[in-house]
Amino acid sequence: MRFKKHLSFICFFIALLLLASSLLARVDPAYALVNCKIIPVSSPVIVKGVIIIRDGLIEFVGPAEKIAIPEDAEVIEAEGLVAYPGLIDAHTNLFIELPKEEPQRRRGVGMAPQEKESGRYPDVMALKLLKPKKSTMESFHKIGVTTVLAAPGKGIFAGQSVLLNLNGEKPEAMVVRNPVALHINFSTARGVYPATVMGTMAFLRQSFMDVNYYHSYKSFLAKKPKGIKRPEYNPLLEALFPFVLEKKPIIFTCRNQEDIKRALRLIDEFELNGLLGGVNEAWRVAENLKKAKIPLLVSLHFKPPYTSIYVNQGEEMKEKSEKEIYPANTAKLQKSGIKFAVTSYGLMKADSFLKNIQKAIKAGLSKEEALKALTIHPARILGVSNIMGSLEAGKIANVILTSGEIFEEKTRVEKVFVDGILFKIKKPPKKAKAAALNITGKWKGTVSGSMGELDMTIELEQVENEVTGTISSSFGKWEISDGFLSGNDLTFTISAEIMGQSMEMEFSGKAEKDLIEGTITFEGGSAEIRATRIPEERSQRREP
Amino acid sequence: MKKKITTLILGLSFLFIPGFASGQDLLIKNGTILTVTKGTIPQGDILIIKGVIKQIGENIEAPKGVKIIDATGKYVIPGIIDSHTHIAITASNESSEAITPEVRIRDVLNAEAPAIYTALTGGVTMVHTMHGSGNPIGGQNIVLKMKWGHPSEEMIVHEAYRTLKFALGENVKQSNFFTTTSRYPQSRMGVNAIIRREFLKAKNYMEKRDRYLKAKKSKKSSKNLIPPRKDLRMEALADVLRGKMVARCHTYRADETLEFINLSKELGFKIACFEHASEAFKITKELVSEGIGISVFLDNWAYKIEAYEGIAYSAAYCTKKGVLVSINSDSSERIRRLFNDAAKAMKYGGLSEEEALKLITINPAIQLGVEKIAGSLEVGKHGDIAIFNEHPMSAYTRCDMTIIEGEIYFDRAQYLKEREEMEKKKKAEKDKKKKGGER
Repeated sequence: MRFKKHLSFICFFIALLLLASSLLARVDPAYALVNCKIIPVSSPVIVKGVIIIRDGLIEFVGPAEKIAIPEDAEVIEAEGLVAYPGLIDAHTNLFIELPKEEPQRRRGVGMAPQEKESGRYPDVMALKLLKPKKSTMESFHKIGVTTVLAAPGKGIFAGQSVLLNLNGEKPEAMVVRNPVALHINFSTARGVYPATVMGTMAFLRQSFMDVNYYHSYKSFLAKKPKGIKRPEYNPLLEALFPFVLEKKPIIFTCRNQEDIKRALRLIDEFELNGLLGGVNEAWRVAENLKKAKIPLLVSLHFKPPYTSIYVNQGEEMKEKSEKEIYPANTAKLQKSGIKFAVTSYGLMKADSFLKNIQKAIKAGLSKEEALKALTIHPARILGVSNIMGSLEAGKIANVILTSGEIFEEKTRVEKVFVDGILFKIKKPPKKAKAAALNITGKWKGTVSGSMGELDMTIELEQVENEVTGTISSSFGKWEISDGFLSGNDLTFTISAEIMGQSMEMEFSGKAEKDLIEGTITFEGGSAEIRATRIPEERSQRREP
Repeated sequence: MKKKITTLILGLSFLFIPGFASGQDLLIKNGTILTVTKGTIPQGDILIIKGVIKQIGENIEAPKGVKIIDATGKYVIPGIIDSHTHIAITASNESSEAITPEVRIRDVLNAEAPAIYTALTGGVTMVHTMHGSGNPIGGQNIVLKMKWGHPSEEMIVHEAYRTLKFALGENVKQSNFFTTTSRYPQSRMGVNAIIRREFLKAKNYMEKRDRYLKAKKSKKSSKNLIPPRKDLRMEALADVLRGKMVARCHTYRADETLEFINLSKELGFKIACFEHASEAFKITKELVSEGIGISVFLDNWAYKIEAYEGIAYSAAYCTKKGVLVSINSDSSERIRRLFNDAAKAMKYGGLSEEEALKLITINPAIQLGVEKIAGSLEVGKHGDIAIFNEHPMSAYTRCDMTIIEGEIYFDRAQYLKEREEMEKKKKAEKDKKKKGGER
């Protein structure tokens, strides 16, 4: 009976997914953005101009008098709007889901050293771990980001990153460059070697040395296959070949100034093609960085590391460092004449990325440099400035239209083109009322529709108007995002995953003290949902 | 409360971080100079030029533009050296494995550790920052100057010995661990065995390398010659066997200390110093004949079984028997009162003032191989100096100023002044807030 109930659900969702994929395959028309102010970044501002987009590329950028609008183009009146190149977030761990790992156990008696390995995944490809969620993508569109460098974030050799255009949910269509770089963290593992950063450094040095040794052994063998014992095949070292021998880029993620120095030492010792990510303490070693001339992907995460002098001087100073000192990092780098890209690395939400860009500008980073640090600088650093990073004919049509000067408090991103595909930005709820109640907690709910019923547990967390959470059912655990409670009116988005495919559902309804009721809509259908609060005492009771 | 004070001290100290240029000029005038190696000058001057002591004597004229410090009525001594600490780092034990000579303190320095400033307030200018005692072979240590406010790389003393940390006894066999662990070794015999085993491996490694180099030189056998793999773990031990690095060994009991000496003789490596060595007084003859120093607590023992035999008289007794003794702090707090610890060797064992002072100056300098640049006040050595208001071996003394390479890193008078100002400012802000709240 229960199975039957689910079966109908599954059939229904499969039908939905087919519908959705047919929608994705649609052909996008050519667009003509007219009467907008254009900031191409790499060339002077055009006060009133035209951008023609066709086949995912920019066909024309310039003043209106220089071009006749093609007949087949869909005209988008953009009077009063400003066109910028799509922003590039050159370092994020979002969009990727790492496989769950078995908890590591301590070494057993008599085991030889270095037998167990940890944090060593140089052959992990971000591309294979992509989980592009629509809600995350939309949140990036909302702040004007069209391109991200998605990097795996765990382990010493964390894996290889991929450059993505946020043009949908199909990883293959999103890829701009793959792989881009090998990512190295100065991380440690618990109970297994290396458990400290000094161990990590020794491990990195040994690995780079071993690559050279293993490679020279192999090439020797290739020349004289007779009379020499072959070395044991080592997939880890093989995966490092392109980076250590062919000098493909390596991005070292640096959590503090000493990490930066560690990375610079390794880059120097092994003549690597190194880039530095994270680096929210970069200004403190500006002299070293200036000398080293290493490209920087500066995170706008403003939390000082625990080693920082500022966190050891009481709460007041700690707060000041987070609000004033660390946000001034990029401003100080700009003053030292160092070029950099800014990234959302370490931030969990696109919103906070925009907020922190504004904070960095407030702390002294010029708006022009901020824009460059999100367009042409990352494009150059990542080696894609010939195809993106500015508005030029022939480049990829990653274009954003904003209501005013970018990064301003009141400015909204109105439209986003990624690979020439138009994405409209949802407007924020108008005239939000104060939330009438707090719905934080666990809820027991039932979805009922034409295809049957489904039981689920809903966990919600509310901060002022904003609501986030999860929905658990026999299909798994789904994320709730973009939740908003205005008075008693509740809306949120469910990022569902059914049989390996992801889809979005919208909830809209009313919330009372112990009851949430409303409708879930998805492409091609809807269902009713009713949930009652699970009393707190019960949910917290433990088994004796 | 204690936390509050620390916070305050740090807050203040940050205000007068000196400039980033090291090696300055300075003239210290009219102090009682305890040179440690060349007697006492009742009222003398020290001239430092570009960070190095240029002249010591009476009535030295200040060259143009050189800053002068009046030390009238004060005691001028060489900067104190702590032969055994774990400060200014973010990791000390790579305890995932028992044998980790490849890891280096150099890679985990933290120039912003508050302990650096604490050390300066006690007249300490140089420390030996070591790996912990969690592993039989822990890793490569480093010698640092307490250049508070400078980048980590500027703190390193390159003239010092390269030292490798060894440890014996309870900590490495993990007998005081509350959870059961299964790491080898679990006994003292295992500790000795694993150290010997690793050294024998290193010998093997070296021979393989030598054979390769020899073969490479001879013209005949140039074919099928692949250089052996370079192993950082083995390289570190090989450097100890080659005499490029010296051993510093944490030990308590006399029996295993002797065993370690035997091991060093068998394998041919140099032990610079034993750490803690609470039973050293039982084996002074062996220590003297092997030229091995000890770095000890003056009156701290019985905190675990293997430390029960410790005595407060050990430092003085061993000194009189000819052992090179230094007093260490092994702590970011004790480090600010090493002079008190040294003075106790006068009460327990009757050392002279000068002998006691040596325990924290020239003796640790010799143990670290920096006696040519530090440890006493002599022309040509670095201008690393501490100024005390009373004789440093007095119970009433305190450090008034700490200078490294002619640069003032701690100035008690200025510190107190700024502390007062900061307290006033804080109070004013608080009052303002209160008033604002009432409205």
